[in-house]
Amino acid sequence: MKKISELTDFYYKSLFPTLEKLEKDRKNLSHRIVMAGIILTFIALVIAYILGSFFEFIVAGYIILGSLIYRFLVHDYTHEFKLSVIKPLIHAIDNSLDYSPSLHISQHLFEHSNLFSKPDRVRGNDYVKGMIDGIRIEFSDIHAEKKTQNSKGKDNWVTLFQGLYIVAEFNKNFSSQTVVLPDSAQSTFGNLIGHWLQSNNGARDELVKMDNPKFEEEFVVYSGDQIEARYILSHSLMEKLLSFRNKSNHPIHVSFKANHIYMAISYNKDLFEPSIFRSLLEYKVAMEYVKTLHLAVGIVEELKLNQKLWSKR
Amino acid sequence: MPTSLIIIIVIALVLVLMYNSLVAKKNQVENIFASVDTNLKKRYDLIPNLVASVSKYMEHEKSLLSEVTRLRAEATKPDISDAHKIALDAKITSALGSIMVAVEAYPELKANENVMHLQHTLHELEEQISASRRSYNQAVTDYNNAIEMVPTNFMASLMSYRRKQVFEIAEGERQNVNVKELFN
Repeated sequence: MKKISELTDFYYKSLFPTLEKLEKDRKNLSHRIVMAGIILTFIALVIAYILGSFFEFIVAGYIILGSLIYRFLVHDYTHEFKLSVIKPLIHAIDNSLDYSPSLHISQHLFEHSNLFSKPDRVRGNDYVKGMIDGIRIEFSDIHAEKKTQNSKGKDNWVTLFQGLYIVAEFNKNFSSQTVVLPDSAQSTFGNLIGHWLQSNNGARDELVKMDNPKFEEEFVVYSGDQIEARYILSHSLMEKLLSFRNKSNHPIHVSFKANHIYMAISYNKDLFEPSIFRSLLEYKVAMEYVKTLHLAVGIVEELKLNQKLWSKR
Repeated sequence: MPTSLIIIIVIALVLVLMYNSLVAKKNQVENIFASVDTNLKKRYDLIPNLVASVSKYMEHEKSLLSEVTRLRAEATKPDISDAHKIALDAKITSALGSIMVAVEAYPELKANENVMHLQHTLHELEEQISASRRSYNQAVTDYNNAIEMVPTNFMASLMSYRRKQVFEIAEGERQNVNVKELFN
């Protein structure tokens, strides 16, 4: 697989003419957005001044109308950006990968991992699917939400997960389910109480204590089968997951089920969206696209999913 | 209800809970040892086959092969203790490792399909054995902690529970790549 530096080169060299053109569009667009914002604010203020009441409705209308106008304005630019920057970037990593800007990983696959409670709404985009080193992999941006009602009976959407969701074949056969979650209880309540809380988590299977102290500190493991959990989480895989966690720099949830690995990386924002108020040529902006894609596709190599055991050959 | 009765009930409840948790821990150890045993047996079954297929070529390692055969015969005796099984397993693991290293010196063996199949099966088994061994060690650690820590240690000594031995995991095995890496 290509290195990050090679991809950065590709971004700045091969994509440069496209980026230059997009950069012009982006400047125009940010101008138009600012202008639209000023006009909308002015109109809202005038209406507020004339009516002298109904401020909640005016604010609500202002927000709704504002976001609609914003979406309408950025739509074409976003589409153009995804097809002329993200798509070539994905193909530069591996030519066989398919990319669809509007689709996402199915809600079924999201729920199948059992990493989060059942969502009421799953949205997403930037779906990538293909084979890397003979391993089937797919990933996309996912935003899963749950509907709750507040005291006034109004609907309220709570985010369960937002970020990158990856599904890939795993290189070992197993029948039970094992989940690896970020260790929040032990770091908040200390070892003794945290551990007691973890072992009494009714929503999960049996707690599995792992024999890697660093891994134990970072994650908590639940599984239906103590031995199989350790068969999956070998010493080397624990090390690799730790380094993957450090590389991604965001909380990761991992689930092993039905011979697949499911990985959810919480970025808490929509990924692969074009920057509007910052230049596309800025190094930091470029690196975010390159790094995130590299991380997602790199999971096969990073976790050595392509080294199959005898029973899977 | 008189206070003394409440105190007696509470004490009885605590004793029952302590007793049950100790029994649960002991059974967990036995349970997991059973699957360690199954995996070890699978490996023992492989040894005669392996020895038969490599002995034709391996002239200089005859002593190594007969050592593995001897260890296997000892390990498959019906009435050996768990501790003895654990000790034998360590020896067999290292002897099999040496054979695998020795195979490297024989190109005919490396190309032999039967030997290759055996190697891969062995590698798969090593992974499973390693997993069950680690589970066993964790169960034994929980058990040993319970019989040594206050307050369950009093109960444990009444029940005459003794410390159990864990599998020593060789440093090389922590890498978890042992057999297969050698042949790729």
